[in-house]
Amino acid sequence: MNRVFVLPLAVLFLLTAAVLFALFFRLSPGEIFAALGSEETRFALRLSLTTSIGSTVLSLILGVPTGYVLARTAFPGKAILDTFLEIPLVITPLIAGVGLLFLFGQSMLGTRLGEWGITVLFTPWGAVLAQTFVACPIVMRSSRAAFERVDLRYECAAASLGLRPSQVFFRISLPLARQGILAGTVLGWTRAMGEFGATLMVAGAIRFKTETLPIAVYLNISSGELGTALSCAWVLMAAGFVLLLALRWIGQGPRSEILPFR
Amino acid sequence: MVKRLSLIRQMLLASGTALALAFGGPATGFSADLLLFAGAGLRQPTDSLIEAFQRETGHTVRVTYAGSGQLMSSILASGQGDLFMPGSLLYIERLAGMGRIHSFKKVVAHTAVIGVNAQKADLIRSFDDLARPGVRLALGDPKAMALGKTAESILSRSPLKEAILKNVVVYGATVKQLAMYVSQGDVDASIIGRADAFQFRDHIQMIPIPRGYFQPETIAIAVLKGTTQREAASRFRDFMASSQGISVFEHFGFLPVPEAESQGTRP
Repeated sequence: MNRVFVLPLAVLFLLTAAVLFALFFRLSPGEIFAALGSEETRFALRLSLTTSIGSTVLSLILGVPTGYVLARTAFPGKAILDTFLEIPLVITPLIAGVGLLFLFGQSMLGTRLGEWGITVLFTPWGAVLAQTFVACPIVMRSSRAAFERVDLRYECAAASLGLRPSQVFFRISLPLARQGILAGTVLGWTRAMGEFGATLMVAGAIRFKTETLPIAVYLNISSGELGTALSCAWVLMAAGFVLLLALRWIGQGPRSEILPFR
Repeated sequence: MVKRLSLIRQMLLASGTALALAFGGPATGFSADLLLFAGAGLRQPTDSLIEAFQRETGHTVRVTYAGSGQLMSSILASGQGDLFMPGSLLYIERLAGMGRIHSFKKVVAHTAVIGVNAQKADLIRSFDDLARPGVRLALGDPKAMALGKTAESILSRSPLKEAILKNVVVYGATVKQLAMYVSQGDVDASIIGRADAFQFRDHIQMIPIPRGYFQPETIAIAVLKGTTQREAASRFRDFMASSQGISVFEHFGFLPVPEAESQGTRP
């Protein structure tokens, strides 16, 4: 590999490290311990983990089959449908939140859902909904690309040997597309974990109820308490780093395509 | 007066030239480029006043709108900016305590009202009706927004505090978020700014909050100590606090400072 490629790597590394240093530099140890010890931060961390994992699972349930269908079928207007499903990626999260608020509000779905005892707005479910809305297209997109890279002949061979379509999907296509789906899951999960704008509108900023870590960061920035905000941000980043590393480790398979660095 | 103006102009010219020399500023050389941090709820009157100021003076005013506390964080973190106009005097006082304020002038009052969804106007006719069982309320987060703090102090003076708090279904981080919840009917009522209720007057009715429950917030504009364009910044401060500035604010539902002390009138 050409050494020239190392330069951008160094720039990216230094930029990230410098930003983290700038964020850390302002904090006193007392502020970090105060934030880590506070019941509110720990609640926000728990809520962020549970809602983001919930929304990632929902995104997988919705996104992976959709990606499979889009990868394996051809029909007129497919490009339009495909692009349409990716719209949540380009909507400002705040506007996505307003859209969900309108849809699940009193004037549209809210009253009916309320009769069934389902409350979405201003509850943690609202946070899951908002996060799923923004994370799902990412999972769908990467799954689709992953399935497209799977050689069709494996699926055909499996089918000709007598596997039913569902067995082909679960035993052949899914394992072969695992790497790409996992990469998409990681991206979608980080997006869900950091989601702020849509969650703020749909779930509100209710302390000890819908206060996720990004909302805690925003509330503390809003009240001028930079120290607490930065400590919450560090908790968010640390949790993200650990989980990303864990996912990467789980997903590590044989990787013959990667050249050793020379 | 004319003489004084021309004196100011000369000083502006001089400071502008000095700045242009010092920083290699824009080709015009004589016009200042001011940065204003303004509370998000003050956007409409501020935008229209900035336009008038720019036409009148040739200076440029760039403005950042956000929640007042967030703006305070930005000022503290960056050390940038020339002017600060938050939704509550409290934020100017906090910065002044840290030695970051050069001077400030009061502009108008930011009065809290109860904003009620128009379709629920029969259900909620007075402050005490907020405590009725089944009423759905939104309030501002008391730490994050000026009106959240105001709402907290209003409730602390009401004997019905517990019953009212029981009716709160959501807390918001900005006042426009609360106004949207009310106008959409997601909640029945909220404690919001008079100007916010006024902006959504087709969907939100105003109910006054009893006298003695709170002091209206004062909107003031401050020149920051770190400014390098003090003359131009002071001129903008005076422009906002002038009778012309106040009348534009009144047009958007704000009340002049002295009158606000006896607030509670419907539009």
